[in-house]
Amino acid sequence: MSRRKAMTLTAVSIAAVFVTLVLGICIGSVFVPPSHIFAVMGNKLFGASLSPDVPQSSVSIIFSVRMPRVFLAFIVGAALSVSGAAVQSVLKNPLASPFTLGTSSGASLGASLVIVSGVTFMGTFSLAFAGLSSAIITMFFMIAFARRLDRSLQSSTVVLTGMVLSLFINAIVTLIANTADEKYKQLMKWQSGSFAGRGWEYDGIMLGVLAVCMVVFMLKARELDILTFGDEQAQSIGLDTRRSKTLLLVLSAVLSGTAVSFAGVIGFVDLIAPHIARKLFGADHRTLIPMSAVTGGIFMVLCDLAARIVIVPNELPVGVVTALIGAPFFAFVFFKRRTGR
Amino acid sequence: MLEVKNISCGYGGRDVVKELSFTVRTGEILAVTGPNGCGKTTLLRALCGIIPYHNGSARINGCEISALKRTELSKKAALLSQTGAGGEYADFTVMETVMLGRYAHSGSGASKADREIAERCLEQTGTAELKDRLITELSGGQLQRVFLARAFAQEPEVIFLDEPANHLDLKYQLRLLESLKSWAAQGRTVVGVFHDLNLAAALSDRIMLMDNGKAAAEGKAADICRSEALSEVYGFDVRKYMLDSLEMWN
Repeated sequence: MSRRKAMTLTAVSIAAVFVTLVLGICIGSVFVPPSHIFAVMGNKLFGASLSPDVPQSSVSIIFSVRMPRVFLAFIVGAALSVSGAAVQSVLKNPLASPFTLGTSSGASLGASLVIVSGVTFMGTFSLAFAGLSSAIITMFFMIAFARRLDRSLQSSTVVLTGMVLSLFINAIVTLIANTADEKYKQLMKWQSGSFAGRGWEYDGIMLGVLAVCMVVFMLKARELDILTFGDEQAQSIGLDTRRSKTLLLVLSAVLSGTAVSFAGVIGFVDLIAPHIARKLFGADHRTLIPMSAVTGGIFMVLCDLAARIVIVPNELPVGVVTALIGAPFFAFVFFKRRTGR
Repeated sequence: MLEVKNISCGYGGRDVVKELSFTVRTGEILAVTGPNGCGKTTLLRALCGIIPYHNGSARINGCEISALKRTELSKKAALLSQTGAGGEYADFTVMETVMLGRYAHSGSGASKADREIAERCLEQTGTAELKDRLITELSGGQLQRVFLARAFAQEPEVIFLDEPANHLDLKYQLRLLESLKSWAAQGRTVVGVFHDLNLAAALSDRIMLMDNGKAAAEGKAADICRSEALSEVYGFDVRKYMLDSLEMWN
């Protein structure tokens, strides 16, 4: 990509992210004008005095409710999308995602155990910690099992192992849910995905995890490019495919596991957003990784916005919105691909 | 120089290549031919480090292949395999694809020198004018030449080709052969697997005829084509079949 094209793309992306975030914060059960958002940000970040036009209720809505929620939606969307982009390239499979590989089910299992047992060992982060640990353990277990079947970790073996493991863990989660009695509703609500009631501390941790993983993915962008050509060609080019795949899959498990534990099970973003980014910006991972983050973040903020305003004053689970938009979109993409060629 | 001595390799504990030995000198082109399942592709996969070989030794200019790290081996040996592009996911430009051949030399970064090498390889394979096109838009022949350019970009000492002329029309076959011959003339070694005996004879200095994982015959193209071994390996009179098919050209 030329320097000029890269600069244009960066500028357009920043503008699109900015507009989406502002929209997400403005719109809700109560409309907040954009000028109030900038005034509150100026006050909180730089200590600028607040105009008397901005009521205290708006400050509270903007800074304590909407901003952390919208930012978390963006970061979780970006994390799921980057994770999906990496998994699809590593496994050379358009249907592969952290969900099909079992990491999301793993995170679900960990979080379900915490919800049902009521055990809290890290305060508000018990759920997130249990989900993340469980996602990583699931990914290591999946890779170890796939390795026993096929030492070279061929993509088809990994996908099949992941899908079997995912279905198995989902069955355990359903079993737990059905024995949970009074916690059943809480568990189902968490599983449907939501950004409601998450404070700034969630944003901070999720952003930290995303930043570290993005840096490593960017450093490994060329390896992701090479893996797109399949194992045999990748090895011939000089890539240690087994080591590279293991690292990239574990990294994507960390990203998606953290996202699922913070916001629940939100499907389709990890499938759709990388597809859109790939179509619009090409397959070079130095561009694809950041643009997947931007696409996934924007998509998630818009879905969360829809979840908040469709049945005011109630809210839809955001996972329902992503699935309602995502499933037809995905079917359309594949239908078009099959008939268009 | 490639020296192979008594190597055996295969899949799932079953040897497909059995105690095979041969040598290819620097600058020489060896064509490997034989019936389906005789072990040609398995041999190439073992010599590129994709599957392990046991027993014996295989050396490129004195370095044992199995002892080399993946990146070191890729600087010595490149494989142009039958595997196609990366499917719908490989929306890479031709230049980006050829630059991947520099991975073993420059890792995750790419310098101006890497780009110059990639451009030279595009010139050598006649694909320079395609460099900004997406590989998903190319014909089979163009794509094969782009992958050859990527293999050249690895600057290997030996290049292994697995049915490189598959799906290529006569014009592209001829161009591919010219690219390979001029590359070998720069003091590199080429080992290619071919089903087409005429193509094998046109490209190579020597032909090794394989049967059941072993070398049934080895020698100059003219000698192999006239040998009894050819008909024995294929189970019919190959020479008569070839001569009969030439009748129509008169």
